[in-house]
Amino acid sequence: MSAMVEAGLTEAVAEVAAAAEKYAEETDEQAVFPVQALDAMRATGLLGLMVPAEFGGGDGDLSDLVRVTDALARQDMSVGMIFAMHCQQVLAIVRHATGPLRERLLSELGPGRRYLASVTTERGKGGHLLSSESTTDQAGNRLSIDRDAPIVTGGLHADAFLITVLTPDAISPAQVSLVYADRTDLQATVLGGWQPLGMRATQSVPMRLVGSVAADQVIGTPGGFHDIVADTFGPLAHIGWAAAWLGAAGGALSRTLHHVRSEAGRKQYDASSELLLSRIARIRARLDTVNALIQQVIRRWTEEPDHTAVSFQLLVNTLKFQAAEQCFAAVDEWVELAGLRFGYQRRSPLLLERVFRDLRSASLNYGNDRLYLVNGALALRDRQVSFG
Amino acid sequence: MDNNFSTMLRPYLKYAGTIDIGADSVLRDLGLDSMRAIELLFAIEDTYGVVMPDEYLNDVAFATAGSLWAAIESLGPAGRQS
Repeated sequence: MSAMVEAGLTEAVAEVAAAAEKYAEETDEQAVFPVQALDAMRATGLLGLMVPAEFGGGDGDLSDLVRVTDALARQDMSVGMIFAMHCQQVLAIVRHATGPLRERLLSELGPGRRYLASVTTERGKGGHLLSSESTTDQAGNRLSIDRDAPIVTGGLHADAFLITVLTPDAISPAQVSLVYADRTDLQATVLGGWQPLGMRATQSVPMRLVGSVAADQVIGTPGGFHDIVADTFGPLAHIGWAAAWLGAAGGALSRTLHHVRSEAGRKQYDASSELLLSRIARIRARLDTVNALIQQVIRRWTEEPDHTAVSFQLLVNTLKFQAAEQCFAAVDEWVELAGLRFGYQRRSPLLLERVFRDLRSASLNYGNDRLYLVNGALALRDRQVSFG
Repeated sequence: MDNNFSTMLRPYLKYAGTIDIGADSVLRDLGLDSMRAIELLFAIEDTYGVVMPDEYLNDVAFATAGSLWAAIESLGPAGRQS
């Protein structure tokens, strides 16, 4: 990234982070989408970060994605998640769309005005990403969609959706395609509310999407969603989420360290206390571990063309459950350290209570328990225990 | 492909139903996921008396019924357990 683009990016991130910070309490309280932060992402073009320069995008790499997500999540984890998941959709298009469709979509996405939401959840399949029960019909060159999705982050505000559906001629629930649908091609109905414990501002509502799209709006090969998941969707989900969780936990740690070293904090904490020092060390180590894992996954994803290698898949999944567990544990420890007054109360300036609620979602966001099973099966395939 | 091979595969393919399983059948489409692939691996090793090397345990060998059968055959007598 050139120095000029870099300066523009720093400014854009600062503007979006400021909007996130200003409205975080309100959007958390009301469990509504951070529209002001989204407006700022559009106005600054930050939504175009991952689009190649030839299409007018920011030409960012995964390190840029992590850096920006981290910075936004320090103010509001929901905003970081929203941004990272949008970038995951964009990269799926960059890497898997072909021909005129790719040209058209990337030209639209490059300026960073359009926000993409993901529709992969489905009732009845228990969160299994790789199967679908949503049939499609092809009549002429139109593909009709009638999709019920229990969780659509940002569904009320997205300009377009990437939706998983069965191929029209599917003989089994595993023949899943990823389809691009413009909001104007769909009738989007919100089927219920969103009142969770944390990450409330993602406003991930249940929706029904009905309409039709041009039959050539399939990203990648028809029925080939599995390949997109292995190459891009899976790694990017885990990198993006981990960056948001690390940013949220890092923000909490930073605010608390500022407090400990402030005049008021020095009266409250004895900085030579062995208990305090060893707890701070443990919290910091958790976050350094997650950061190291993120960097290692980025390095291998960037340097190795084959993202289906067993050792890489193991690492990508390990990043997810380690980031989820370590970031939550770090904030949990801070709550313990900060006590009832600074750690446990709503609107404490350290914001530990909100970050604690937000990070409780991390292990549930594609369940850790399920990923452990997958990694157990993968580890059995690698008797040599090679780290790639 | 061994005639009994498709019969052996079927229980691990949750979407196979009554669909004919031939050399070109894509195992993932018929419901083979990473969890079932391990169970299938153990069944292959028990049935055919082979030890599948780790480098065979990938999406290429496990792509279709035919590619998986070719992988088993390629092990030949050398791959068989004593």
